[in-house]
Amino acid sequence: MRRRDFLLGTGAAGATALAGCGGLVETRSLSSPPVLSNRPDAVYFPTHVEGMQMTGMGGSGDYKFALMYSYPHRFWNVNGDEVQKTSIEDEDDVHLMATVWDPETGVVLPETGLSLEISKGGDLVSQEVIYPMLSQPMGFHYGGNFPLDGDGAYDVTVSVGGVNTRRTGAFREKFGDPAETTIGFDYSESKRNEIMFEETPDRAGKRSARDPMEMGMMPQSTLPPAEEFPGGVRGTAETGDANLVVTTLDAPPEGVDAPDGAQYLAVSARTPYNRMVLPAMAMEGTLTSGGETVFDGALTRTLDPDLNYHYGAAVESVPAGADLELRVTTPPQVARHEGYETAFIDMQPTSQTL
Amino acid sequence: MTGPNTDRSRRDVLKAAVAVGGSVGLSACLDAVGYQGADRPPVPSGPADLSTLPTRQFAWGEFIRRDEFGNEQLPRHQTLLYLNLHGEGAPTADQRATVERALTRLDEAYAWSHEGLLRSIAYTPEYFQRYGAMPEGVDIYPAKRLSSFETPDFDRQDALLHLASDRPDALLEAELALTGERATANGVEFDAALTDVFTVDDRRTGFVGAGLPAEKQAGLEGVPEDGPVPEASPLFMGFKAGFAKNQAPEDRVTIQEGPFAGGTTKHVANLRQRLSDWYGEQDFADQVMEMFSPMHAENNWVEGVGANLGDGSRVDATLDTIREQAREHGRVGHAQKAARANRDADGGVKLNRRHFESADDGIASLHFPSLQREMSEFDAVREAMNGQDLTEVTPAVRQRVNNGILEYIFVRHRGNFLVPPREIRSLPTPQGEVPE
Repeated sequence: MRRRDFLLGTGAAGATALAGCGGLVETRSLSSPPVLSNRPDAVYFPTHVEGMQMTGMGGSGDYKFALMYSYPHRFWNVNGDEVQKTSIEDEDDVHLMATVWDPETGVVLPETGLSLEISKGGDLVSQEVIYPMLSQPMGFHYGGNFPLDGDGAYDVTVSVGGVNTRRTGAFREKFGDPAETTIGFDYSESKRNEIMFEETPDRAGKRSARDPMEMGMMPQSTLPPAEEFPGGVRGTAETGDANLVVTTLDAPPEGVDAPDGAQYLAVSARTPYNRMVLPAMAMEGTLTSGGETVFDGALTRTLDPDLNYHYGAAVESVPAGADLELRVTTPPQVARHEGYETAFIDMQPTSQTL
Repeated sequence: MTGPNTDRSRRDVLKAAVAVGGSVGLSACLDAVGYQGADRPPVPSGPADLSTLPTRQFAWGEFIRRDEFGNEQLPRHQTLLYLNLHGEGAPTADQRATVERALTRLDEAYAWSHEGLLRSIAYTPEYFQRYGAMPEGVDIYPAKRLSSFETPDFDRQDALLHLASDRPDALLEAELALTGERATANGVEFDAALTDVFTVDDRRTGFVGAGLPAEKQAGLEGVPEDGPVPEASPLFMGFKAGFAKNQAPEDRVTIQEGPFAGGTTKHVANLRQRLSDWYGEQDFADQVMEMFSPMHAENNWVEGVGANLGDGSRVDATLDTIREQAREHGRVGHAQKAARANRDADGGVKLNRRHFESADDGIASLHFPSLQREMSEFDAVREAMNGQDLTEVTPAVRQRVNNGILEYIFVRHRGNFLVPPREIRSLPTPQGEVPE
């Protein structure tokens, strides 16, 4: 109902409303431009860019949280290698986004169950497990569309589960327990409608990405450039428009079960252009040297304070000139905002000489 | 009342009556069923010889309806009273006598059946701490967190009284007598009330059975507004549960030795349900995959609410290949995960689950009582249900997504209890004595 009223209003006052905004910035038509019919199977510049508003931050246990909102979004869910669009529902008022990170290192935690409980005046408005997501302005975050109960003061409790993926180094003793924090959210539809929204027809569909948003106190899920990555960087493979930076350490980080003398092979997967972390893949590798197979097996999803989130395995050694084949058997299991939904799905095996 | 809405209105009042409770609820309930005065069909009374009542307070199975396949049909209306004993330290003989007197009046008032009233009183480990000891010969301990993502409130009150009946009027009247708000129940005069020695810390209500969840769904927070719960479903999620072959027999959950032989341990969780994605994002095959297993969906084993399954969920056939199913379908089923820890060496089921739905506070939730000989058997099943090992098989199965029904349930409360045998049901010591 509110949405229809708003659309009618925009239709009637459209030209006037736009007049003062300049260029292509408009106050908001809740219908986004249509999804492009000629999208590349790669990262592309979306049809529109939007701003967002921080509602607040909080901390609990090992974790620090931030909560943000914007207009409701269409996004794409990924299950295995299937991609399914989630459309905006009539009753949706906002897209709520949460980020959770380690306050000491600023490492964003990409693989944990996160849920939001929204209440107003003590009454439950909604509670959902929200999905891990990738967007160009924010990189990895958790998000979902929510209906609200009109303008007013809301309490949003952000809950995170203990991280199940392998943790190494100083992270071994952290992030095992759940935590939650409650963040206030003063919502008004008119304030929401002041959030920046810009159609980008001249750039839409091009193989590029919009710049990450300035996050203030909140860390980005950005990984360091290959040349600044820890260990001896041995090269970068590309598949499905993802960059897989391969590095080796002389010894595995603490917390990896490995025989004495083993080395560590780590793959850091990131988006092109902005180097945002690509989590929740299944990855296998085969390392051969001089006709011998040195390693053949899974690379384990691992969270480490130095290597950040990566895929790693203990290996006997990684001789110079060894050949590495990487196979992504399940693409990143994160929902995608526009511009990422066609990338990182069809990920063919890669080979490189180290 | 006349006209086409009469039946609906009557049902609306009835379904609200137990939740509202108190004399207002009872009065509304009696009005709705036309039960005021002499017209009220009699509720069967207790036996003349109370020693004929079962020793096992949880012996409900033989005294309730069964469906055509032999599956238990739990009483349709249920109330949980969480009770705190007055005072510090060990209870007094007077307090014990009061509890026994109140419960004896209840025994006299109501037949031990779904048409009368089924009931049990249970005690927390925290209650036994009043004596500075845990109950002897029982695997039990204070409730704790059972997944890496839940943050429940723990029920550490002293006692839990569980009442259940198909007759909401009987349920309400019994509660009013036990809480000192009525002098009589079903014609029996109550010369003692539980509230003489206990304070009611929390009162939770619920219902189960085909038709009730569908009736209740309108306006309930947590269930989509378009009312997707099927009329035939006994539970909000649209499927039957508790198939006879997937339930532990009462003998299997009975404590065999020690002073509490004839008792059992009882876990009671309360889980908020959030079903918009369950019904909005999932088609029927997805629901079957997540409730039962991908194999169930592939083979079309489930029709409708699952009545075609008869007396067994067929989940045992899906256990050996659960990892392959997870890899292939990117999902695992709730029932198959849990069943992995719910079988003993010879295939017998360990847990007897007696869950029912709730609309307390206008929010859909599930009360989940489970009976087992040892409390750690419950914890193991819950751990298996978390499916943490399966998140390592494929990243498509996540901590709470594509991982059974974990995305749709939020644990609010957990409590651990000991249900003593009836003979020592009134404020027992850790040694299983009820000294006078």
